[in-house]
Amino acid sequence: MFTHNFKYTLKILFKNKMLIFWTFAFPIILGTFFQMAFSDIEKNEKLDIIDIAIVNNQEFKDNTIYRESFKALSDKESENRLFSIQYVTEEKAQNLLSDDKIIGYFLLKDDNPKVVVGTSDINQTILKFVVEEISSKLEIMRNVANLKIEEEKKNMPLGDMGNYNSLYASVYGQVMEMSKENNTNIKNISSNHLSYTMIEFYTLIAMACLYSGILSMFAMNQSLANMTTTGKRMAVSPTSKGKIILSSVLASYLTSLIGIFLLFLYTIFVLHVDYGNQILYIILLAFAGSLAGLSLGVVTSCCFKVSDNTKTGIIISITMLGCFLSGMMGITMKYIVDKNIPIVNKLNPANMITDGFYSLYYYDTLDRFFFNFFSLLVFATILIVISIFYLRRQKYDSI
Amino acid sequence: MKNIIEVKNLTKKYKNLKAIDDLSFEVREGEILGLLGPNGSGKSTTINCILSLLNYSGGEIKIFGKKMNVDSYDIKRDIGVVFQDVAVFEELTVYDNIEYFCGLYIKEKDVRKKYIEEAIELVGLKDFIKFYPKQLSGGLLRRLNIACGIAHKPKIIFLDEPTVAVDPQSRNNILDGIKVLRENGATIVYTTHYMEEVEILCDRVIILDKGKIIASGTTDELKKLANIEEKVSVEVMDLDPKYIKEIENRKHVEEVVYQSPVLMITYRKGKNNLVELMEYLKEQKINYSRIFSERPTLNDVFLELTGKELRD
Repeated sequence: MFTHNFKYTLKILFKNKMLIFWTFAFPIILGTFFQMAFSDIEKNEKLDIIDIAIVNNQEFKDNTIYRESFKALSDKESENRLFSIQYVTEEKAQNLLSDDKIIGYFLLKDDNPKVVVGTSDINQTILKFVVEEISSKLEIMRNVANLKIEEEKKNMPLGDMGNYNSLYASVYGQVMEMSKENNTNIKNISSNHLSYTMIEFYTLIAMACLYSGILSMFAMNQSLANMTTTGKRMAVSPTSKGKIILSSVLASYLTSLIGIFLLFLYTIFVLHVDYGNQILYIILLAFAGSLAGLSLGVVTSCCFKVSDNTKTGIIISITMLGCFLSGMMGITMKYIVDKNIPIVNKLNPANMITDGFYSLYYYDTLDRFFFNFFSLLVFATILIVISIFYLRRQKYDSI
Repeated sequence: MKNIIEVKNLTKKYKNLKAIDDLSFEVREGEILGLLGPNGSGKSTTINCILSLLNYSGGEIKIFGKKMNVDSYDIKRDIGVVFQDVAVFEELTVYDNIEYFCGLYIKEKDVRKKYIEEAIELVGLKDFIKFYPKQLSGGLLRRLNIACGIAHKPKIIFLDEPTVAVDPQSRNNILDGIKVLRENGATIVYTTHYMEEVEILCDRVIILDKGKIIASGTTDELKKLANIEEKVSVEVMDLDPKYIKEIENRKHVEEVVYQSPVLMITYRKGKNNLVELMEYLKEQKINYSRIFSERPTLNDVFLELTGKELRD
């Protein structure tokens, strides 16, 4: 019965024109418009070296991580060169910024890194992300150093604690030296890949992933006795509700993945979008994103007793709002939300997907990617648990 | 005949409203039981409770001697349901719809294929198997709805107002099909507010009103409850009121209503009321164009018991 229902759910989903439009055709149409709108920009947008200033105070000079990281990113010999840096006083940096000679400056004061920018655009966003990355690295180094010191302290004889300061200096120095060897994970890869349109395509894929919710909502609705007459018919059959729902939802998941696969094929081979070389991670994230969308559809189907069209409207609205906040209509929005109300994008599944792709593109490490990947899984799990709570009810008070 | 369905003291409440009020009845093997009542009388709610689709406030339901629950899959295997609202997939053809629903009951492909063909034959949809539901007329759609509910050859079939909004040709086809199902051994619970269908089809009838059983029995038994023998209608132009008075005073006459040109006389008893009336009209030299006699209907029974019409 599982296979029987799975097969027919696939057939029903593929024959529903409205569903096919939203999940297959709409992302492809939107992708084509993106390409048409941004193709000219794309041609001219090899990332320029960004002019910035760094306030060259004593604290900056003493901080190996920041010093070495910025040095590496401004190395004229390096193909990863990202910045052209002027080391100046704070006052001079302010003057350079107000004269538009630089896009922003970096100030390290009281162990507090600060980025001062004039306006918000891609260059300012890059500077912000670079500083964030270095700060997080610094934090990791400190934690490693502290752990090492605690370990050494345990082995130190009680009467020898007077040497604590020299131990701290020694270990901290060692860790800092280690960090020099691989002082930053940030690279300028613009010569090969970078384009504004990439963010648009990331959000487009996020949208396609979340639209799997429309499919799962529809498939679920057909199986619930309090939602549709076909659901009533299934409820009086000798096939268990769990089997019917699971096979229907899996069929909608497969349909969604086929849609995303077609979108990838179309954007890669027709629109010539370059997603980089981390294709396995991209597929992994698409799977998780689609699962998050699927859970959104399942929970919408279970919790709202409204018409199919209204439920579709709810899912489309949530998806489009999520994509908008994660940068579909311009990366500035993502930056504004990240800066002012970061919790919104932390909870926004569209941003989890977009940010996951973004991190694959811009970072060598996978920490941020996996943070987004697992966030999507947690998001999906929470919604599915809520749905199971609603679905446990076997009989209805009214239908 | 043994009881296949037993309903004891079934009660269903929606907040303060009792949709079903202490209902008890049984369905015997091989019979067609009619549940007759106006809209909102509790017919569909009763069926939904029996099928474990709805929670109920009290009572007990047994099918094949076993308590009916949501997970009574062995019982559900032998039940077929034709819901009042058409329950088919717009995206599937006639054949695929029947195949899909039949497939929820019958695993073996060969058996399923045979059953589907028989169901299509029974409801007369052979020429439409490749059609999609939206290409079908209302009557054909109802037939598809029936085929989806009975293709797996269930022992018990619940038919919830299957002929609502159906053209006469499809209605006859549906009623003939139901007779065939009974001849093949199925036990049928048939809900409707069309008393004519009940009279044609049902061995026994339960009349419901406001969730309560107000009468039950065979159609003949029920008609006796109407307390009238016959109704005679005469078409007479401009009848003098003095004749109406005289007719009212004649033997066995219960009520006389004259709405020109129809004179309706209700008789409580008597065997030759029609002949006697014709003789009277002849004696009084009253010209009439048409005269006919009607036996009491289930609507009269309902009227007698509740003071309102079945279709109110």
